Parts: sequence; structure tokens; C-alpha cells
Amino acid sequence: MNRRDFVQSLSGGFGLMGLAGALAAEQPRPVFRAPHFTPKARHSIFLFMTGGPSHIDLFDPKPLLARHAGERPGAVDVRTERTTGGLLPSPFQFQRHGQAGIEVSELLPNLARTIDEIAVVRGMYTFNPTHTPARNLIQSGNIAATRPTLGAWLSYGLGTENQNLPGFVVLSPGNNGGALWRSGFLPSEHQGTAINQAEPVPEKMIRYLRNPDLAPASQREQLDLAQALNREHAAGFGPDPFLEGRIQAMETAYRMQFAALDVFDLAGEPAHIRRLYGSSQFANGCLLARRLVERGVRTVHVYYGQGQVWDDHKSINKNLKKRCPDMDQAAAALILDLKQRGLLEETVIVWGGEFGRTPVSESGDGRDHNPYGYTMWLAGGGIRGGQVHGATDEFGFKAVENRVSIHDLHATLLHTLGIDHERLTYRYAGRDFRLTDVHGQVVRPLLA
Amino acid sequence: MHRTLALAACLSAPLAAQPAGGAETLDRTAFFERKIRPALAAHCQACHSSKSKAPMGGLVLDQPSGILRGGSRGPAVVRGNPGTSLLLQALRYAGGLQMPPAGKLPAAVISDFEEWIASGAAIPRDTTPEAAPAAKGPDFTRGRQWWAFQPLAEIAAPAVSTPAWPKTKIDHFVLAALTRNKLAPSREAARRTLIRRASLDLTGVPPSYAEIEAFAADPRPDAYEKLIGSLLLSPRYGERWGRHWLDVARWAEDNPTSEATNQPYPFAWRYRDWVIEAMNADIPYDRFVKMQLAADQLPGFRRDDLRALGYLGAAPVYHKDARLSKEVIETLSTDDWDERVDAVTRGILGLSVACARCHDHKFDPISARDYHGLAGVFASTMIVKRPLTPIDPATESRLVWNQDRITRLDYMSKMLTGEPGTSPEESRKRVIAMTAESDALKRETPAFEGPLAHAVIDAGVWVNGTDSELTTLDFRMGVPRDLPVFRGGNVANPGEIVPRRFLTVLEPGEPAPFRHGAGRLDLAEKIFTAAAPLAARVIVNRVWGWHFGRALAATPSDLGTQGERPTHPELLDDLAARFIANGWSLKWLHREIMLSAAYRQDSRPDAKAASIDPGNRWLWRMTPRRLEMESWRDRMIEAAGGLDPAMYGPSSDLEDKANLRRTVYARVSRGRLNAVFKLFDFPDASQHSPAREVTTSPLQQLFAMNSPFMLDQARRLAGRVESVEEPAARVRQLYRQALGRDPSAREQDLALSFATTPERWKQLAQALLASNEMMFLE
Repeated sequence: MNRRDFVQSLSGGFGLMGLAGALAAEQPRPVFRAPHFTPKARHSIFLFMTGGPSHIDLFDPKPLLARHAGERPGAVDVRTERTTGGLLPSPFQFQRHGQAGIEVSELLPNLARTIDEIAVVRGMYTFNPTHTPARNLIQSGNIAATRPTLGAWLSYGLGTENQNLPGFVVLSPGNNGGALWRSGFLPSEHQGTAINQAEPVPEKMIRYLRNPDLAPASQREQLDLAQALNREHAAGFGPDPFLEGRIQAMETAYRMQFAALDVFDLAGEPAHIRRLYGSSQFANGCLLARRLVERGVRTVHVYYGQGQVWDDHKSINKNLKKRCPDMDQAAAALILDLKQRGLLEETVIVWGGEFGRTPVSESGDGRDHNPYGYTMWLAGGGIRGGQVHGATDEFGFKAVENRVSIHDLHATLLHTLGIDHERLTYRYAGRDFRLTDVHGQVVRPLLA
Repeated sequence: MHRTLALAACLSAPLAAQPAGGAETLDRTAFFERKIRPALAAHCQACHSSKSKAPMGGLVLDQPSGILRGGSRGPAVVRGNPGTSLLLQALRYAGGLQMPPAGKLPAAVISDFEEWIASGAAIPRDTTPEAAPAAKGPDFTRGRQWWAFQPLAEIAAPAVSTPAWPKTKIDHFVLAALTRNKLAPSREAARRTLIRRASLDLTGVPPSYAEIEAFAADPRPDAYEKLIGSLLLSPRYGERWGRHWLDVARWAEDNPTSEATNQPYPFAWRYRDWVIEAMNADIPYDRFVKMQLAADQLPGFRRDDLRALGYLGAAPVYHKDARLSKEVIETLSTDDWDERVDAVTRGILGLSVACARCHDHKFDPISARDYHGLAGVFASTMIVKRPLTPIDPATESRLVWNQDRITRLDYMSKMLTGEPGTSPEESRKRVIAMTAESDALKRETPAFEGPLAHAVIDAGVWVNGTDSELTTLDFRMGVPRDLPVFRGGNVANPGEIVPRRFLTVLEPGEPAPFRHGAGRLDLAEKIFTAAAPLAARVIVNRVWGWHFGRALAATPSDLGTQGERPTHPELLDDLAARFIANGWSLKWLHREIMLSAAYRQDSRPDAKAASIDPGNRWLWRMTPRRLEMESWRDRMIEAAGGLDPAMYGPSSDLEDKANLRRTVYARVSRGRLNAVFKLFDFPDASQHSPAREVTTSPLQQLFAMNSPFMLDQARRLAGRVESVEEPAARVRQLYRQALGRDPSAREQDLALSFATTPERWKQLAQALLASNEMMFLE
């Protein structure tokens, strides 16, 4: 039996969307632990560019680099990861776009066209020049590989809107860096559920999603038996929250098999939508992200590629030319698609990596890690698009104006979702922990 | 007019004394009130207020004295000198510090501040008396009064209203508390329930149908006592209770990232095996812990005991990329020590000492000096692989140092070879030099073929940042290192050096410095002398929690002021006192607990009792529980056709279909924990875990419904009863195998009407394996 027959046989004429809708609707909406005030956004999507994309070649033009190419001004004497050479100009042209006239690299024509939806944060900085600690910082606010991650905090704070799906879904080809969606000391239900969007079909994306032996109708009969036995057992024992909870969870699991088959199956998307996003892995991730938030998943993280793909220690120009087109197309498509469905205003999008790259060269034609200043962007719910916030110095080395730390970014993101970052706490090991530790300021100018 | 006056004042009296009255002073303080105070209130005091418990940067801007005193970066204002005043630099966004963070203030406001500082920064007196600056640290005298630190003594059993109920001394305390709370105990559970409960609790393996029936029919009055006795002798006991300890010890076989400088621990299973052996041998708990901290320094040391040091020797370690700065590597090293402090203090002492890393503990009487006194022990302890066969100390010291150095040299030369950076020629030269050194060390290092254990050895570590490109670690064999107090947790801000020593609050006076090597043995000795009452309370409380599902003090890793107070403080104290009197024997403790009437109670719900005590704090019944993942898996394999009884050895893979070993022998990873472990609340071994979570999620049920493991076990189970021809007899046999009991008439009917084909028999078998009953401990 192929998957389509399988779903048909289960739903008995119930349309796929109708089924998913019916399944979602019958679940009670959980009580919010937050919000602390009226949220603008209800969902968030993080487009994560593992490795640290170059702000200098994408969002933060530095014309002075050309004039001083090869020189090593005093400002570069800041320790980065590797030995670096002289200033390396970007070969890519920047032009002004949108009503605000924001300069965007020619590598990103599609994002340039949607720039009025985007708040470009050029004043980002972080605290560590190497990948693993820096990724822990951006994902959990701490360099240690033990703290709960952003998505886990959001799941803990906001609960899920769809009991058939996890509240925090991670689309990561090859599941690289499994620790980046851990729940840490938060209850384990909040950890990200990793889906490998490089896999072609939902059954491969979620483990144990489908029974290899049983057709849905047969499994339903088996489950009816199991549940009858469970109810016998529960009746003999007496009311118990675990026994009740597990009977419910069995039912949800049964339904989730089909809800997931629906949500993770891109085959039903119309051709014009597929064309809008493109056909790459990252495009699939962005499209799945939209389908997930559409169905009430709270947080979706989409990883670009497998491994530290944006880590361009050498041949950066060639690499960017190869990598940018599909990233640009899919990220812009996500904004447009959410907007045309009225979902952009309730979905906040974050784009960026664990740090930026140096204005000086490494290995001749590469750029080293740069935690001192770089660019990320935000769009959607709660965010005032069409603006640039903050600036790096004349060469793009350090954030010097309206600096935004990782904790500020987290505080701002939580704010759009109705959470006061100082009040979302969890008691552990004798004290209250928060995502932003003792740091973080909401960056008000970024807010709508 | 005003401006001219103020500027003139600046020239004549740049360091104005605290204003004491007079027209000019009034005028200048009026400027403060009119211009400066409102700006501070509007833009600064949200973060810098004396009303906040922890003002940002220690800076208080709503009290004049706070403005002058400044914060952690020093004075905010230099009177008369705007240029060097940190406050103004921050407002101008001129340096690293930029305030307020939300955006630069209007130029007019900034120039007001400039003018005010230039004119001598006149301010009125404090409006309210301010507390003296906090420099006194924790109040240890008061801290020593905390209940958990008090000496232990046996406590007379309280009188009870129903003298027939108590079976052990424990029951007197339990019954007295129940009576006080207008509750009564439940009746004793049925024999069949008791043997299932005791077996799964103590060994993690279910009794067979025959064992259950034999126990149910046993006429001897002491049948239950005999059962507990024989279960305690089963080698399965160590596998089950060793696993409990492995949670406390955050045991795993690799590191969160497992890179060049924090490689996996291929022999970590030897620590796991040692724990199982030690549990089965009932090594006294004090010795059990001391061996894990300092086996190599205890009397009667045998090299095989080095396996116990895996508690420290397979601890989580951060990768230290040699290209990072000295400061970053030092921070990563302090993170490593911090993990050790945390594991030991929360795990063994039930105190969250790691809270005092950056500042004195906010709630418990633990100072930052205390913290660094302990952290120094771990800064003097090197993680190494040590031979389990005889070797003389000098050779061993040389061996482990060389091995570490070789690993680091090979790592750095490989890195420089792969990524020569901007000066390939320079890199090439360095690679040649490093390779030569590494080769020389390899020639000199005696070849060693025998078994190794991940252990520790005394050696202080210093971060070597002399090389501008590569930061590495220097280990000095046998040389301990006392740490400075890193103020604010910042390695760039070292304060006074603290000798390695124990926690002040647990000592009668100022603790004496540790004297033996790194201080591991001193620490271990202190835990079981000065801190013995606390250590005993912590383990007794934990063991109680593992038996009952809820510890007497519900936060087993925090018996400090932020933890839960015990529900039965006298019971905990009495049990802890008798635990010590009985030689710290865990098996004594199990017996004492399991023979109690409290433990033997039925676990069924009761609406009336639940309305008074829904969480069963007062133990009006046994608390029913979901089995831990290990017991659940083991129980299913045993039901489906038997567990592989082989004990010990290298870890097995949970994904391997042929793996029918007990789950305690499955590989545990910090970086890539098996997905099934994750699904069923296995704790993250990157840090100490106080207790297991219990979650019930749909993804878990997908495993029960669809996983190859479940389908395989269902096939095995169905196969075991295939030969029984008659359907009703086959259902009966299936129930006996799976659940150790006969089916009810209704269950019999349901099964028979379902199992119409061989395929359906398999599905029935899976339904029983996946049933709530299989996962439930009554």
C-alpha cells in the first residue's frame, strides 16, 4: 500500500486538510504559562545559518574596504580564531531597496525585494569566537552545552497549540549538532523534535511514525483491544493520572501518524508554491516551517544544510555565489507566503548564524570568525520591518552603534511572543534560571 | 546665567566637597534635581536601582551615594572631569560601554550630564539611609544552625494510636504523621503485588509466574522477609541500584562534543561495572564515595580500584580549541572545575555550591571563597587513563603526562597542517617541531598493552598563553594549584588566592587547608567526618525517594534553604543516624525500608485521602509509578523470552536488534544520546541530574506501537506460546508469560475474540507488552 492509499484508507473520505483540522480542533488549547502581556506573534521560525555567514558580503556594505584592501589597520588587532591577513573587500555590489532604501547585496535579490518586511540588525555581537560555544550562546544564551535552548524555553513558556504535533520542531538535515535543541533542565517534553527534512517522506523524518506491518484499520483494531485492556486495568486499579494520561497519549500518537503524514508531506503543495520556494533542502525546510506554524506548532528551527556550511575560511566568494541563491529564494518565499496567508503578522522570523566574519582575509580568499560585530535579521509578528538597526565600524569588525547582544536578541524575540524575559524562569539547582541569565534588554526600536 | 556659574565653579573648585548648604550649592543641586535626576529616573533606574536585589553592574543610580560610589567597573563620575567619567563615556557611546542600551540619549541631555560633572557633580544627600556596602559575606554562625547540618542522633519512636500497624521503627514516624493529618494507612498490598513491587524495585526484573504463585502460597509468616533477603543477594540488584547511582554520577562514555581535547571514554564501562560490583558487595557507602574521589590514596588500595575514579575520570569536559585566547581557555577550564564542584556538592552533599561561583551564595551560607577552595581540588586533578596492572608511580606519572602531551601535540600539528593560516611557512616549521617532540615522547613512553581505566591523578593545570597563536594546557605532576577567587566568575578578574579546603559552614571554624596532593582524599574524608550528618541525610533521602517515588525532602540534590523541607524530619534523621550506626550499609537501608508497613501498603487510590493529601506526602498509600525506561525494556524482554544474563563488559547498542542484554549495559552518550533513551526521560549526563522526570508523550507511544523493538519482542512472545493448541489455554499462557498472572474472564473474552489469526496473536502479544500494566509499578 502506498502512502496515499494508506491515508485514504484511514480517513475514509475525510479530506487530508479536513482531518488535520478536525484533529487539531478537538484538542483543548493548553493554558499559557506566559504570556506576560499581549503578544504580537504566536509562532517563531529561526532560519539558522550554521557556520557564521558573512555580514560584509550580504547585509553590511563596507566601501572603505576597497580603498584599504590588504592593509591591517589597528582595529583588526582583536583576537579571532585564526591568523588573518589584510582587509578583504567584498566583490559583491550593494544597492538600495524598498521604501527605506536599505542596502542589500546582489547575492540576495529576493530578500532585497522583501526588505520592507525585514529589520536588519547590523549591530549584533556575541561573546565567543568558536563554533560550539557560540552556537550554544545563540541557541541557549550560555556557552555551556547544558542549558535549555531557545525553543525549549518557548515550548515551556507558551505550550503547544496542536496536541498532535510537538511544540518545538527542528528541521535539520542529518541532525547535526543534536545538542542545540536540548531541553537541558526543563522537562524533556520541551526538547526539540528533530526532523530530517533531507529525507523525502514523513516516515523517514519521524522515527516509528508508521507501523511496517499494519494497515491503519488493523492498527486501529489492535489499539482498540489495547485500550480496552488498559481500561480494564484502570478500572481495576482506580483513577490514576498516569494510566489516564497514557491512554490519551496512545490516541494522540495514533492520530499523529496521520497528522504528521499530512504536515510533512509536501507533495500536496501547488506547483506555484513549490516554484516560489525552490526545490532545495532548505526550500523544503522553509516550506515545512510554514506548514508547521500553520498547524499551530510554536517554534520551528530550520538549519541550512548539514555541518558548518557558512564557515567560509577560504574561497568565500565562490561559496557564497553557490549557496546564496537557494537560501535567498526560500527565505524570501517564506516571508511572502506567510504574508499572503495572513500568518506573517503572527509569526516572528529570525535569520542568522552564530557569528559573522572578519573584514580581513584568511588563507587569502576566506574570512575568519567574527563575534565582535555581525548581522542578523528579524521579520514578521511584532517586528517593524524596513529598518536597519545598529552599525559596525567602518570596516565591519565591531558593532559600534546600537549594539545588540545575543541576550538582547533573545529578550526581544521573547517580547514579540508576549514573554517578559525576566519573568520566564525555571527553578533548578537551587535558583531561578532564565534564558537571558542576568542580561538582556528588549531592543524597543525593533518592535512594531 | 546658570550655565556660566556652573562652569565657573568647575574651574575654581573641581573637587567640590559634599554640599553643606549655601546659595551656590543649592543652585547646583537644583540643577541635579531639575536636569540630572529626571534623566536618571527615566533612562537608567530601571536597571540601576537600589530597590533591585541585583542592580546591573552593581551600579545604583537612584541614591546619590551610589552615583558617586559607582559600580563594578569603578566610580561612575569623576568630579570635575567629564572626559574620564565612565558615566559620560557610556552616555556618549564612546567606548565598549554604551548606555542606555535601548539607544543613545538626545545630545541636549548628554550635554547636561557633561555640564553637571564638569561643575563638580553636586548632588544632595541620600534621601534614605543606605545599608552599609555588602562586604561581610555569608553569616556562617547562623548558617550552621540549618537542620541538615545538625549532628545526628537516633530519635525515640513516637507513640502511635494503632500499635498493631507498625512493623519497623519507620512506621511509627509515618503513622504519627498520618494521624496528625487525619489520615490512615492503606491495607497491606496483596502478596502478588508485593513480590512484583519488591522484585522490580530491587532488581528491575519481574518475577516469573511460578515465583509469584509460590510466594502467594508460601505459608511461612516471614515469607516476605525471606523474599527481600534473597532479592538483596541477587546480582540483578547491583545492576538496578548501580543504575540509580549512575544517574547521580552523571555517568556517560563520551563528551558533549567529543573533539580532539575532550575525546570519548572508551573504557568508561569499567566504572559502570565497578559500581555494579560495589553495590552487589554492599561496600559501605562512605567507602563507596571515598573510592570514587580518591581510591588511589586510600589504605588497602589495589590498582583495580582505579576503576572507581571514573566518577571524576569520565566527567564531562569541554573542548579547548588551541586557537582560542588564554582567557577563553581559562574560562573553559573553570567550567570544567565547576562541573566537578557541582556534581560532588549536589550529588553527595545536597548543596548547590556552584551558585557561589560568581558571588557569595544568595541563599545558602556558602561563599565564593568556599567555592574556589573546592574548585582548587579539581584544578589540581588531571583526567587520565591509568593502567589497572602494577606500575611504579614514577613510570605511571611519566606515562600519563606523555600521553596527554602527545595528544595535544598531535592535535595542534594536525590542525596547523590542515589549516596553515596566512603564514604557511611558519606553520610548517611549527608542525615539524611539534612532530619531532611528539615522536620523541612516543619513543620514550613505555608501550602499554594492559587494561586501562578512565581515572584521575594529582596534577595542577595552568593555561599557557605565551604563544600568540596557540593556547594550551600545562600540567604539573603532583603540584596542586590553589585558585584565586575569580570575581564575578570572570577569569580576568582574579582576587585573593584561596587554599584548597572544605566548606566553611560544615566546619566548626575556619577550615584548614587540604594537605594531601590535590586534596581529593582530604575532601573525601571531610565529607564523612565534618559533613557526615549531611552526607548520610542526602543518601538516605535519595534511597527513600527511589523506593517510594518521592524523597522525604522532595529536592534530593538540594537540602539547602532553597530545597524542600522534609515531610518527616525526625524519620529522616533517625534513619540517617541508624544508617551510620549500621556501617553505612545500603542493603541494611533497603531492608529497613522495604520491611516497613509503609512500604508494603496497597497503592490503590482513595478519594477521601486524596482530597486531604493528593500528592501522598504523608504516605497514606504506596505511590504507584511508571517504570523507568530501563526496567520497562528489561521487563518486556524478560516477558518475551528472557534477558541475556551476561554481566559487565563493553557497552551494547540499543539499536541492535539482537541486543537482549539489560539496559544498564547500553551505551550512554552525552553528545548523541540514543533516541529511545531521550524519549523516555533518561537524564542528560552532561551534568548531575537530581531525579528522573516522568513524561508521557505521544512520541513514546509511537515507539510502543511501531518500533522494530516492540514488533520483535511481540514476535518472540507470541512464539513462546505458539505450541499451546487450545486458544483459551494459549491466552492464559500468554498472560502468565507477559504479566505473570492469569487473565480475567473479560480479558480472556477480549483476547479470544481478537486473536483469530497467527498475525492477530502477535498483535495481541504486542498489546500486552505495550499495556499500561507492563509499565506500571503498583
